[in-house]
Amino acid sequence: MMKMTGKAFAKKLFGAKYERLPRTLFMDVIVFWGLYIAGFQVQIASFVRVLMISAFTAGVMWQALSSKDNAAELQHMLMLPHRRREFVFSYVGVLGAYTVLTKTGLLLAALLAVSVWKPVEIMGMVICMIHAVLMAAAVYDLRKYWYAGGLWTAGIVTAILLLGSRTWFCLLLLVNSLFAILILWRADGYAFYQWESKKHPPGIPLCQGLPQRKRASLLRYFFRYLSCHKNYLLNTAVMWCVALVLPYFLREMAGLSVVPVGFAILSLNTPICILLSCDPDLEQAVRFLPRQKGCFCIPYCLFIFLCNMAADIIFLCSWQIQNGSVTAQMIAGAVFFALQSAVLSVLLEWFYPIRGWKIESDLWHHPRKYVVPVVMLLLAGAVSSCPVLLPVLLALLAVEVTVLLLIF
Amino acid sequence: MGQALLTIQNLSAWYSNEKMILSDFSFVLAEHEAVGLIGLNGAGKTTFLKVLSGLLPTFRSEGICFCGSPVDFRKQDFKLCRYTVFAEDNSFSYFTFREYLAYVCAAYGKEIPDVSELIQGFHFEEYADTLLRELSTGNRKKAFLITAFALQPRLLLLDEPVNGLDFQSTEYLYQQISEYKKHGTVLFSSHILESITLTSDRVFVLEDGRIRQTFERGQINAEEIREALHDENDG
Repeated sequence: MMKMTGKAFAKKLFGAKYERLPRTLFMDVIVFWGLYIAGFQVQIASFVRVLMISAFTAGVMWQALSSKDNAAELQHMLMLPHRRREFVFSYVGVLGAYTVLTKTGLLLAALLAVSVWKPVEIMGMVICMIHAVLMAAAVYDLRKYWYAGGLWTAGIVTAILLLGSRTWFCLLLLVNSLFAILILWRADGYAFYQWESKKHPPGIPLCQGLPQRKRASLLRYFFRYLSCHKNYLLNTAVMWCVALVLPYFLREMAGLSVVPVGFAILSLNTPICILLSCDPDLEQAVRFLPRQKGCFCIPYCLFIFLCNMAADIIFLCSWQIQNGSVTAQMIAGAVFFALQSAVLSVLLEWFYPIRGWKIESDLWHHPRKYVVPVVMLLLAGAVSSCPVLLPVLLALLAVEVTVLLLIF
Repeated sequence: MGQALLTIQNLSAWYSNEKMILSDFSFVLAEHEAVGLIGLNGAGKTTFLKVLSGLLPTFRSEGICFCGSPVDFRKQDFKLCRYTVFAEDNSFSYFTFREYLAYVCAAYGKEIPDVSELIQGFHFEEYADTLLRELSTGNRKKAFLITAFALQPRLLLLDEPVNGLDFQSTEYLYQQISEYKKHGTVLFSSHILESITLTSDRVFVLEDGRIRQTFERGQINAEEIREALHDENDG
């Protein structure tokens, strides 16, 4: 039974013939050799490596556990008679394997390629990954007692920061993993089926009191969308926090000319840039309704622009407070980077939406999401080294927007 | 049969090269008629409606004409003449019904019509200002059906419109389909024989991506269609 449950989940995540596994491993090898041959080497303290691997693995595992797509799968699995422990361990095991092999593997390959390591340290990193998977699953099971889970996580993070470089630290992680296994031993499969308690029963409207509106505003639609997705909101809030502290780091780095890099970094609010990719029904609707190039794409672009611009305004205010002398050129730069990244994001979503993803986690880590931020960073680099480029880029953007408005 | 509205010759459609879903599918839809599509699961009903909605690019045909002129299902001119209600649809879930209707009317370049009668007929009064995501499957279906009947396109495509509806709304839907002929043509797929026999002027029985049999007005009775479907099953 355990084998069958595991197989069912594994086929969903890795493909019917597990074809995704060799593909991912091949990618890991390419990344490793690419970085290794490039000869780029950095010194990374052990505790930083442990923290990076643990935080990344636990984060991806949490996303996988919270995935809406798993809810449908779980609903059917839990409807069938099942053995509690077998179910929990096969479910956690497969999601853990998915997290480690398809996501953390790439980070591990990059870390191994760019830093000096001893063979024994690989064992430590594997323990870190397994520990992070088990801990994320155990804390997820305990999320009703979120304060306990929070304290436990904070304790582990503190231990990594203080003791992460010690050779015996892996033993501590092993003991903590056993504790997590103990929690999962007592867990019930239903604890992982979040939608039962969260989702509002259909047919009983929550927002019956919404004002009667005879006009449809897509901007309102997008802001509702944003406010209903905690992870999107969190990402936006994180970007605003980054916008607050970024001027301090940029000032330390070089001076006024690095401001465009700040704007480029703040265009990294990627979840709002994959609205069509993550909602296939919405994509179907905008493909089949008439005039959607204009009706949908322009408000969508405006929405991303407003979100980017909000972060840029916070950044500029923070810059003014910390460093003073915000110039008109900086404001023009903010407008350029916010609008250019919005335009490119919408064009990518319209012409190349991400399809064929298995669970939302695949979507959130899809490389296509980072194409626009990378382009923005390259442009920022160019503008930083040659500030006279900015008016040229602004003029090009104006032409680009005009042409698109005419086509759309 | 009246004047031809949509003519399709030898349509083939596929999702992967290995298997054709529709093959050499030819048919004519006349102006102001109600046509039912019936067939077993996998016969190609939904695929056909998806092709007509411009959602499936993998198809070929020897000729597609709308009102006598060649047409591209993805071109604006055709899009403005048709609307589809899908079997399952969770799109625009952060709009209320009224907002969705306003959005669709703006897309079709039409004034927002008075839908109070349709809302009453589908017993939808309580939900008109509720977000679509908070509606049950049946109520969400009603929201899209009301939009479709309010919009009155020349060609209305309904994919299993009865699914999820309660008894009263189903009766009202039959009435709406029957009366729709005043405004245009309606093509709908269904597994419910009653929905076909009560409303259709013509019925196409689909089998393996082909029209196996056509029943014209006067020939349409449940017994004969059932027999055709049984034969299909046996075959």
